[in-house]
Amino acid sequence: MASLSARIDTGNGPADVAPAEGWQLAWIDQRRAIARLTDGQQSLTVLVEGAGTQWFVTIRGRRVRVSVQSWRERVLADAEAAGAEGGGPVEVRATLPGLVVAVRVEEGQKVAGGDSLLTIEAMKMQNEIRAPRDGVIGQVAVSVGQPVAAGVLLVRLD
Amino acid sequence: MRKDTGSPRPIRRVLVANRGEIAIRVMRACREMGITSIAVFSDADALAPHVAAADIAERIGPPAPAESYLDIGAILAAAQRARADAVHPGYGFLSENAAFARAVIDAGLTWIGPPPETQEALGNKLAARRAASDAGVPVVPGLLVSLDSASAADLASIGLPLMLKAAAGGGGRGMRRVDAEDDLPSAMEAAAREATAAFGDGTLYAERMVSPARHVEVQLLGDRQGNLACLGERDCSVQRRHQKLVEETPSPAVDGPLREALFDSARRVAGTVAFENAATVEFLVDAERNHYFLEMNTRLQVEHGVTELATGLDLVAWQIRVAAGEALDATVLDAEPRGHAIEARIYAEDPWDGFRPVAGTITAWEPAAGPGVRVDHAVAEGPLTPEYDPLLAKLMVHASDRPAAVDRLRRALDETLVGGLQTDIGFHRWLVDQPAFVSGDYHTGLIADGWLDGPDLPEADASLAALAALRARGAGPGAAAGAARLDASAWASNARNEALRRWPR
Repeated sequence: MASLSARIDTGNGPADVAPAEGWQLAWIDQRRAIARLTDGQQSLTVLVEGAGTQWFVTIRGRRVRVSVQSWRERVLADAEAAGAEGGGPVEVRATLPGLVVAVRVEEGQKVAGGDSLLTIEAMKMQNEIRAPRDGVIGQVAVSVGQPVAAGVLLVRLD
Repeated sequence: MRKDTGSPRPIRRVLVANRGEIAIRVMRACREMGITSIAVFSDADALAPHVAAADIAERIGPPAPAESYLDIGAILAAAQRARADAVHPGYGFLSENAAFARAVIDAGLTWIGPPPETQEALGNKLAARRAASDAGVPVVPGLLVSLDSASAADLASIGLPLMLKAAAGGGGRGMRRVDAEDDLPSAMEAAAREATAAFGDGTLYAERMVSPARHVEVQLLGDRQGNLACLGERDCSVQRRHQKLVEETPSPAVDGPLREALFDSARRVAGTVAFENAATVEFLVDAERNHYFLEMNTRLQVEHGVTELATGLDLVAWQIRVAAGEALDATVLDAEPRGHAIEARIYAEDPWDGFRPVAGTITAWEPAAGPGVRVDHAVAEGPLTPEYDPLLAKLMVHASDRPAAVDRLRRALDETLVGGLQTDIGFHRWLVDQPAFVSGDYHTGLIADGWLDGPDLPEADASLAALAALRARGAGPGAAAGAARLDASAWASNARNEALRRWPR
């Protein structure tokens, strides 16, 4: 079961923020993203705009970006960010437990961002793992037929 | 000698040579007076709120201001087509352009504002400074001649730090603070370049830096018969980039004797020219309650509304009446401001990023309402037009005294919702809880010294924002509008469904 976490830059870089306990969200006008937060006694009108992983919450007049991500989305986004920075090697890791059913690259091969690296079958679905950026394959850590746990290193991109 | 601003005659059809909230403000006065209002609009504004607020609307050109709201020929042609008999310029755009005022009068129309001769005499800040000084009004210590014609000894006598200012200046352009003598040449060059680019005139003068200082201005209303009313002062010390964010009346820094001195100085400055209609005389007030003339603005100010709340007068209606030749009556001449009024300017800009203007689309707009609240705005849900001023709304409050007005402003800010982009509402919300603002003991350095790049997001607000976003995503796009999906199991199953749906097949 996918669980979501929220990440906010409160002033010192993005960090995980635990949701307020005991509070509920009720839409006042969902089309215009107006909602009310309440803990049963206090309430606060906020704007909650967005979709998918990117949200903006306007609270007490301040519009705050909130990333709402599953663990898998987090890993992909981090890899993408690391790739965008063009920094050191990027480690591509499994986002879900599954079975490696295809490996399309070998060590030393040049790849472009978005190229398919390998396929993992999980929950009866084929999941294409793609290169987060241009680079050279530094290491292929898995082989076809190998079961992998979530978080296991698949490929290192240099 | 008193110059005519056009033959005195009734005004029946007013062309408003502006856009946005100020155009609507003028049109409202026209509507109440039984006067036909005429909007002008650029192609970017065909569906703008100010067009809907007018009785008649005329297109004047493409979105670029130079080809529309600053195009004197296009505006005069529109006035002719719509059979206007008078023109109100609002603020900004052509409001202080003497050539425009003269062209309006030459076209046989009534100019609703101070005469062009007045605008010319006061438009040059250095000349106005000299005239004020000659009239016995204190000016900021410094040069009464341009920097070019000043001796090294004159310059040295000003002391440091000093401010370089453009003679043709306004809006903070061509201004430079100089802290060390060595910085003077490069600052002079930069200020002159900026002034030349902005005004076509690089003439500079220099004033001693008054710091800490408050920015206090006096509202004037005059008629052709020679009556002149001082309608109280406004404190505009909450500024960023030398531009105002908050204005209030009365000023917490002004006591009875200082108010009398300010009014006396304002009358003296107005006396140096043939003055009628509405104008504002701006002063700096230092920590010892000395006041120094800065400049006179020969137009309606953005912040005129707080004076209207405190006096109960309609300044725009009086602008129209005196332009038509009417004399000010006792309601103006004996006006006694009541209570306290504060305005917060709501801009599409990011206070956490140096008050940088932001572009975007307004997805929701809910202005504040209720007792003692006035909101002047021209906000429509939809894309912002990037060509024009990022001012979205003016939130004004009026209450029996200053503490009540601050409380009312806090309440009204909490009621105000702007969706789709960052605004400075969060800054104002911070401001109304600052001890310096609450006590009234603040100065023009408040933002630079106290806000910096804004405080971190409080933990409690962060956890509420996290909860809101998590629940909103959990509710998913399938949730019906207005129907809350609150229980944790619905949230979890939605998240799971979405995760599966996004899984490549």
